[in-house]
Amino acid sequence: MSKFRLYLEENNRSPLKQLWREFRRQHSAMTGLILFISFFVISLLAPFVTPHDPYLQVDELLLLPPSWSAAGLVQYPFGTDDLGRDLLSRMIKGTSYTFGFALITVAGALLMGLLLGALAGMSKGVKSSIFNHILDLALTIPSLLLAIIIVAIIGPGLMNTTWAIMLALLPQFVHGIRNAIDEELKQDYVVAYRLDGANDWHVFSRLILPNIWEKLTIMATMAISTAILDIAALGFLGFGAQAPLSEWGAMISDSLDLIYLAPSSVAIPGLLIFTAVLSVNLVGDGLKTAILKRRQS
Amino acid sequence: MTRYLLRRLFLMAFVFLALSLLAFSLSYLFPGDIVQNLSGLRQIDDSQRQQLISYYQLDHNILQQYLAFLTRIAHGDWGQSFASQQPLLQEIQLLLPATLELASYALLLSFVIGIPLGIVAAFKPDSFVGKSISAIAMVGYSLPIFWWGLLLIMFFSLALGLLPSAGRIGVLYEIPHSSGFMLYDILLADIDYRSEALYNALQHLLLPTIVLATFPTTVMISFVRDAMLNVWEQNYIKTARAKGLNRGQVLYRHGLRNALLPVIRQIGLQFSTLITLAMLTEVIFSWPGIGRWLIDSIYQRNYPAIQAGLLVISTMVITINMLTEILHAFFNPLARRG
Repeated sequence: MSKFRLYLEENNRSPLKQLWREFRRQHSAMTGLILFISFFVISLLAPFVTPHDPYLQVDELLLLPPSWSAAGLVQYPFGTDDLGRDLLSRMIKGTSYTFGFALITVAGALLMGLLLGALAGMSKGVKSSIFNHILDLALTIPSLLLAIIIVAIIGPGLMNTTWAIMLALLPQFVHGIRNAIDEELKQDYVVAYRLDGANDWHVFSRLILPNIWEKLTIMATMAISTAILDIAALGFLGFGAQAPLSEWGAMISDSLDLIYLAPSSVAIPGLLIFTAVLSVNLVGDGLKTAILKRRQS
Repeated sequence: MTRYLLRRLFLMAFVFLALSLLAFSLSYLFPGDIVQNLSGLRQIDDSQRQQLISYYQLDHNILQQYLAFLTRIAHGDWGQSFASQQPLLQEIQLLLPATLELASYALLLSFVIGIPLGIVAAFKPDSFVGKSISAIAMVGYSLPIFWWGLLLIMFFSLALGLLPSAGRIGVLYEIPHSSGFMLYDILLADIDYRSEALYNALQHLLLPTIVLATFPTTVMISFVRDAMLNVWEQNYIKTARAKGLNRGQVLYRHGLRNALLPVIRQIGLQFSTLITLAMLTEVIFSWPGIGRWLIDSIYQRNYPAIQAGLLVISTMVITINMLTEILHAFFNPLARRG
């Protein structure tokens, strides 16, 4: 629907700029973006910004309460765990495991999905139909079950579960990209470009890719939130990050037996996971709205 | 419709073939002795090993081994569990109803709450109510389920002592096993403490159901909201309004029917996520279902159990996927094409 405009001004800004303008207007999305960027920066700089060594065990300071309680120390804002390791440093370090690995997982799945989705979308007939059916199978296996199978075959570990999550995310990427390409191929400008003598590669790189990147971004943000939740859940179950690694989900399961003594050591990592996922979802939702509004204007 | 059904059935056969191939290859991929992985027996002496090798046709080529595997699965010989040395199929039959019970109540709850809230949120998307519903949906969508479950246990079970934190029913009540669905069994059972048992079982059910329903409910809210907003923009809605129907009539006759149609399909798509979440919920609430059993299996390196769990859960998810697709096509002729 086109809106009524008082002045006939031409709106010739680049799509990216228009998108940013619509995005900036949403306060919740901006909050999400700021949180997202800070998580991203922390996960990159984690080794340099921890106030203490996250693996250093201080025998004199076991189970120190957070600094806001009377017995806490200001040098240890969130207190220490049962081995005397600083919880704040562990949480900062954990950002690169939970948040950083989620980004890597999604980037990997997106690249593979783009490749396979493009192959599926550009091909026709039996090849594409067989491909689709295999994907249907992959879509039906629950991600946790897939992770269990992979852990059973190659053993537990953060990297191994990353593969599992990548595999679990892949089918929805391929499906989404394939459908997006299908939709694009029906457009008249694709036919016109083909009549000009463009081959498949030209059509894909010059027309399809620029037109589906918005959908790709939305898919990717949705996938990041799933990936964070999955990494944390697998860490919590003990399949993912192993003992000394301070992945947030693993930290929750570590301090689960201390829940009476130190409830904050369960509450804070959970809150971090929640905030990280929320920031991603806010950005995704904001992008969706902004894209919709840009298309309408 | 017949053509559509045939095509779907063919597709389903293909998917099951691929699934059986995957499950078959697992016993070779898992670490350890292949005969042990196939049979689930811990101690195997030499004469027994010879017998098992010929039974599993391990001395023949891979195709015959696969055919033997299919025959065994069809005859219900799924091997034994490493942990309990019981037949796997029997164990699964005891565990599956618990999971299905929990998942179906959670799904039901997500419909009952999610659909009306989604419609309300779509009706006035920019009002305070609409915005707060969307905000709640966003928060629920972002909650890590295991942490959310722990929080509820900490609050309702540990701090307030109102609700039990583990299991399906108190140990005081003995319910004769008939179907495996707890509430149904209690109602069916001939016992004089039926109402107390029912109350106790409902108390046990409440927290896990809420935890498991959180994610599907929020998905349902945003899905119904988006679908409603989309339908509300369509020309046939304007036509209906122009004809003089009032808002309620338009909503019921044209809005809801079109907006809720994709919801059927959404159930099938969300079911695999629901199973993942159910597995986590079962671990947190010590719910004796198939999810917790599978996660225990990996701690115990119980490979035959993982293979059987894959077969059962995937079959369930595929079947439900297909059923919802067919239902969707049944109600929506447009979906039968393509």
